[in-house]
Amino acid sequence: MIAEALPGAEVEVVDETGGGDHLRAIVRAPQFRGRTRIDQHRMVRAAVQSKMDDGSIHALSITASPS
Amino acid sequence: MAANPELKRKVEELLAENRVLLFMKGTPEMPRCGFSMRVVGVLEQLGVEYGAVDVLPILDPLREVTGEIADWRTFPQLYVKGDLVGGCDIVEEMFESGELAELLEVEQPGGVQAPAPPEPSDPHQSPPLQLG
Repeated sequence: MIAEALPGAEVEVVDETGGGDHLRAIVRAPQFRGRTRIDQHRMVRAAVQSKMDDGSIHALSITASPS
Repeated sequence: MAANPELKRKVEELLAENRVLLFMKGTPEMPRCGFSMRVVGVLEQLGVEYGAVDVLPILDPLREVTGEIADWRTFPQLYVKGDLVGGCDIVEEMFESGELAELLEVEQPGGVQAPAPPEPSDPHQSPPLQLG
């Protein structure tokens, strides 16, 4: 979902608890260049918002950096 | 569901009154989520005074308010001088890089360390926000 929203991004998603609902997304994307960390995180969250809203993701940790 | 205007006004007041404001799950003495606990740990290591608000009693209405104010709906949330810095990830990244100490105008503690267990020295606990 993240890769679709951010074309050209390198995305890795790690399941932190094995239960599928505490995830860490590691994202390097050209779209992040020049943006504050909070904006980078907002972009990642927006890509998966539907899964946060329906509860399938309980917690999402994000490591974002410009590529 | 639009944000409750009374709650939003109270949040804006708290942001104006507290240079550093943390919305967290639980309290600094007793955090109720790992991410909140880690942010408290960072703030304690930096030795800054901060306001702490326990979001658990008002979770859903408060998500609407912070969604409108800062386009962010999950907690913890750290605000400095009225602006959202971020949640646990951002706070920890900025702590390790020294940016957070700079933003808060304090000295970076010597050596990068894993967050220590919270031992509140002088936590400023805001009274719980009430609706209505």
